[in-house]
Amino acid sequence: MTLDQIIQSLNLTVVTEPQDFASITPSGGYTSDLLSCVMAGAKSKNIWVTIQSHANIIAVAALLDLAAIIITEGAEPNQATIQKANEEGIVLLTTRMQSYETVGRLWELGVRLG
Amino acid sequence: MDQEPSRFKGKIITDQMAEDITRVEELAYDLRISEVMTRDVATLSPDQPMRDVLEVFRTVRISGAPVTRGNELVGIVSIEDLIQCLSKADLDAPVKNYMTTQMITIRDTDTVVEALKIFVNLRFGRLPVMDENGQLVGILTKGDVTRGILKALQKDYQEEEVRRYRARHLFEDIESDRTSLILRYNIRHLDFTHGGAASSQIKRALIRLGASPKVARRVGIAVYEAEMNLIIHTNHGGIIRVEIEPHQISIDAYDDGPGIKDIELAMKPGYSTATEAIRELGFGAGMGLVNIARCMDFMKLESSEETGTHLKMKVFLKEEDKVGEGYAATKEAAA
Amino acid sequence: MNVKDVIAIVNGKLLNPSADLDREIKGGCGADLMSDVLASIQPEAVLLTGLANPQVVRTAQMADVAAIVLVRGKQPPQETRLLAEEEGIPLITSPYGMFELCGRLFQAGLKSLESPVNE
Repeated sequence: MTLDQIIQSLNLTVVTEPQDFASITPSGGYTSDLLSCVMAGAKSKNIWVTIQSHANIIAVAALLDLAAIIITEGAEPNQATIQKANEEGIVLLTTRMQSYETVGRLWELGVRLG
Repeated sequence: MDQEPSRFKGKIITDQMAEDITRVEELAYDLRISEVMTRDVATLSPDQPMRDVLEVFRTVRISGAPVTRGNELVGIVSIEDLIQCLSKADLDAPVKNYMTTQMITIRDTDTVVEALKIFVNLRFGRLPVMDENGQLVGILTKGDVTRGILKALQKDYQEEEVRRYRARHLFEDIESDRTSLILRYNIRHLDFTHGGAASSQIKRALIRLGASPKVARRVGIAVYEAEMNLIIHTNHGGIIRVEIEPHQISIDAYDDGPGIKDIELAMKPGYSTATEAIRELGFGAGMGLVNIARCMDFMKLESSEETGTHLKMKVFLKEEDKVGEGYAATKEAAA
Repeated sequence: MNVKDVIAIVNGKLLNPSADLDREIKGGCGADLMSDVLASIQPEAVLLTGLANPQVVRTAQMADVAAIVLVRGKQPPQETRLLAEEEGIPLITSPYGMFELCGRLFQAGLKSLESPVNE
């Protein structure tokens, strides 16, 4: 499952600069709003689902080399966060869906904890 | 299992033990034998014929009875003993020939759990209950224990019902031009352990006063956010004051600083000044004030660096949500 | 779906045995930020969370949550257990992570019980 297909299926909004999403295949998914848990649990190239939208999430994603972050519940990252994500090459996606449903949909697409 | 029940009362409980204690088990440790035993005991004398045992068991509808000589307990005779006697067609024999003399007795001041241990381990059907002077004061069967616990559970439930009934009629029973109930809570800075205790008590009070679950939930959520704000964002904590009136609930949260610099920014969803440590506790999502605004019908935030922050909130109660049952009707009748 | 079914799906362990296992669960919500839970969760949902402090139970009580599932086998402190016991809210610990739990419960037919904040 490529990031491109995930974006299409879940109707996600891309807020960072466009990339070749078809060439990115997330290794699996992870969800938590606690940065320390993400640091401990998320794996490289994972897609991370969270309600958090402040700039610290980019630092965590860059450190862990995550494939993308889906920010849920219509929370909007501010300009500083988006700019930092662009600098770090992190894909930022947003959705009005809640984390629970977002993960449920990813699961239906076959994305598993990985 | 030979621990003192008092160890439970003293709350020296391991995680595992706490996990296993249910309300029924608590009751087994709380209830005394004297509260559940049967007091009017049919007794027999050792010299009476077994025929009398048959008669007593049949008329009183019991399956065992203590045997006493004067005030002294000398044995216990059960339906099994009677069956043995019947099989030998020996009903004229004295009770002492068939009674059991190896008895386990229990004190009236013991807790029910002591009796349960004996019932389980020794397979006795009934236990004579003795007082401090060694006098027989009652008898205890498994049925007595079950009934006693069920009664106690029902009492718990009824007490809550009575509390609710009384609270609901509070406004009705007190006459004034405008009656209100004021609840006040002191909230300590960084007291995460008790964080939410005030909101919890307020929510429960509202339900007892007859507020609808929907109103109780809205107020609960708003007060909880206000309470956590006092715990997280103040210099010395603060005060929550709730005024309950039949037509509205007014909540005020005060603190003495440091004050909010930009109120408009603070009201923005997702904006938070919380530290990473606070976020790791699950707070500081920047949704607190947004939640409060959503739950309340009125909200006003005043803040200055000199005097601190004062958050005013109100819920207006619709006719069907009014607290203090019967209040509206009485007022209308009076008018 | 009731609490008992949820326990089976999440392969969970109930930490307060006196809780009512027949209580109906109408949907799910996964979050670690309590204000976020308070902002969006509808009554009678199961709350999946990575936090285990007493505030989780307080939040659940305020928001009329029907059951709490702690992710990744978290063992909550005693205060959390006692509070859950007191408030009669089923407190369940599951060996799975949040992602897995959201997926499993969603798949089992438990829909999202959160409402968007800005309608």
